[in-house]
Amino acid sequence: MIIIKNLNKKIGSFSLKNINLNIQKGEYFVILGPTGSGKTILLELIAGLLKKDSGSIEGVNYKKLGFIYQDLFLFPHLNVYENISYGLKIRKLDNKTIDEKVNKIAEELKIKNLLYRDITNLSGGEKQRVAIARALVIEPEIFLLDEPTSSLDNNIKKDIYEILKKIHNKTKATFIHVTHDFEEALYLSDRIAIINNGEIIQTGTLQEVFNKPNSLFVADFVGCENLFFGNIIDNYFIVNDNFKIYTELENCSNIYATIKANDIIISKERLNSSARNNYYGEIIDINERINFIELVIDAGVNIKCFITHQAFSLFDLKINEKIWISFKSSSVHFFIPE
Amino acid sequence: MLDKSNKFKIIFIISGSIIVLFILYPIINMIFSTSPLLLFNTLVDKEVIFSILLTLKCSLIATLFAIIFGIPLSYIFARYNFYGKKIIEAIVDIPVIIPHSAAGIALLTVWGRDSIFGRITGLSIVGSEVAIVMAMFFVSISFFINSVKNGFKLVDYRYSKVAMTLGATQFQAFLTVDLPLIKKSIISGVIMMWARGISEFGAIIILVYHPMVTSILIYDRYECYGLKYAKPVAVLLILICLVIFIIMRIIEERGKGDYNKKSK
Repeated sequence: MIIIKNLNKKIGSFSLKNINLNIQKGEYFVILGPTGSGKTILLELIAGLLKKDSGSIEGVNYKKLGFIYQDLFLFPHLNVYENISYGLKIRKLDNKTIDEKVNKIAEELKIKNLLYRDITNLSGGEKQRVAIARALVIEPEIFLLDEPTSSLDNNIKKDIYEILKKIHNKTKATFIHVTHDFEEALYLSDRIAIINNGEIIQTGTLQEVFNKPNSLFVADFVGCENLFFGNIIDNYFIVNDNFKIYTELENCSNIYATIKANDIIISKERLNSSARNNYYGEIIDINERINFIELVIDAGVNIKCFITHQAFSLFDLKINEKIWISFKSSSVHFFIPE
Repeated sequence: MLDKSNKFKIIFIISGSIIVLFILYPIINMIFSTSPLLLFNTLVDKEVIFSILLTLKCSLIATLFAIIFGIPLSYIFARYNFYGKKIIEAIVDIPVIIPHSAAGIALLTVWGRDSIFGRITGLSIVGSEVAIVMAMFFVSISFFINSVKNGFKLVDYRYSKVAMTLGATQFQAFLTVDLPLIKKSIISGVIMMWARGISEFGAIIILVYHPMVTSILIYDRYECYGLKYAKPVAVLLILICLVIFIIMRIIEERGKGDYNKKSK
């Protein structure tokens, strides 16, 4: 297990502040944050490439570490084979062993045909595979990945996700992957940490963080579709005079509430269900997405909800049409702003 | 009618050609106004051959010292920030701005018989090959360091970090990644350093008249025998240097160049 305690690092005007993380052995841990939030610095500190100002990092075997930078940094003066074998040559393995290991990894990553090619002649996806092979061939216990797919096309990204998943399942290595891409975290992570401005804001499984953001930043960053600000008075979270949500929480002022668009049910007639929150509203916008349709409904506040294309056709919904929306009180997550 | 971009190109080509001709014409004129017989006689003149070999040898030794001591300093300048860095960089650039005769006198005051070194050891470098190497090193080291420093600056430091994550020590990363990536800058620095050493006159004449390096031999023959006898030596030196530098430039161009990209 990697235990990071009270880690601090100042570089110029930027500071990584009091980082505390426990990353389980074999876990796929994603550190999610916007550009400039300190993700790469944190990764370099874990890799021992940067000297920490204070704090501790335990459980890292620096000799069994694989690091893939966003820009890959394949050695341009070496060909593919020489790049992959670099770490093995440094370890002074004999040529036969090196050859076997390089060929095996190249076979697994489907780059055997590229082994004697110049790095400069490879496509983005090929370079990515070579970088993974170079890091993987030294059989690392910990894989550190710094936005490894950020410069790739979407279809190639998916390939790389598959490869990373496969490697993770096969090697049982601990993966620490930093990214700003929520979808990447969604696809790969066992747990995530949200980082912003040099501080870890929240950790947990993706579902936990997505469903229960602990701050306005996290709610915004993970893309909570419905975020409201108000006060809880006598079992109602009051956003404005026209919109209030039933809750069993005690009275509280200046609090945020999030509701996932997926948790909102729409119907033409009022539902006779256990859901305590039912609203009658008007459709004010319809946005088509790849897998679903997003409706924006004015029910005193604008509420976003998702329905399938099939349901959309069935209901024959149109702008300005009035419909019912409902959700359970348990679907609402409250948090006090930082 | 010429379009604007063609006019632009022609003006620049003309102005550029003036510089090239200004350099080339005296050299070509000198080469073609030297009789082949005189050139042949110079080629078998033992004093000339000795002087050319001495010049090439001393400038090569100065360049080797530059490679050994200059590369680490260039790396420090390129990769580290520290208090007083700008001042130290300026110190390294001093030989570029001071007259070379002044450089020779400065070296003489440190290494001559009347210097502290001379008085303590009873030794003097005056008149020795060591002095030639020192003078050549002093006046040309800045060119080498600046060339190599720029090479290191253009190569992303994270290449060596990646090497370190793959198990390399910082020194191994330097040898196997940083140095090969700036090969072109090193060769450029070597060419500039060596060339500058071969052509040095001002600092050497203060320290060493004998044994004569070629630049001093040319001056000596001009003073003693006139232009006719100085010219073939100069032509010979120019031709030898041209051949050497053309070969080195070819090696520089044929090898993989510097990888001065911040990305993959």
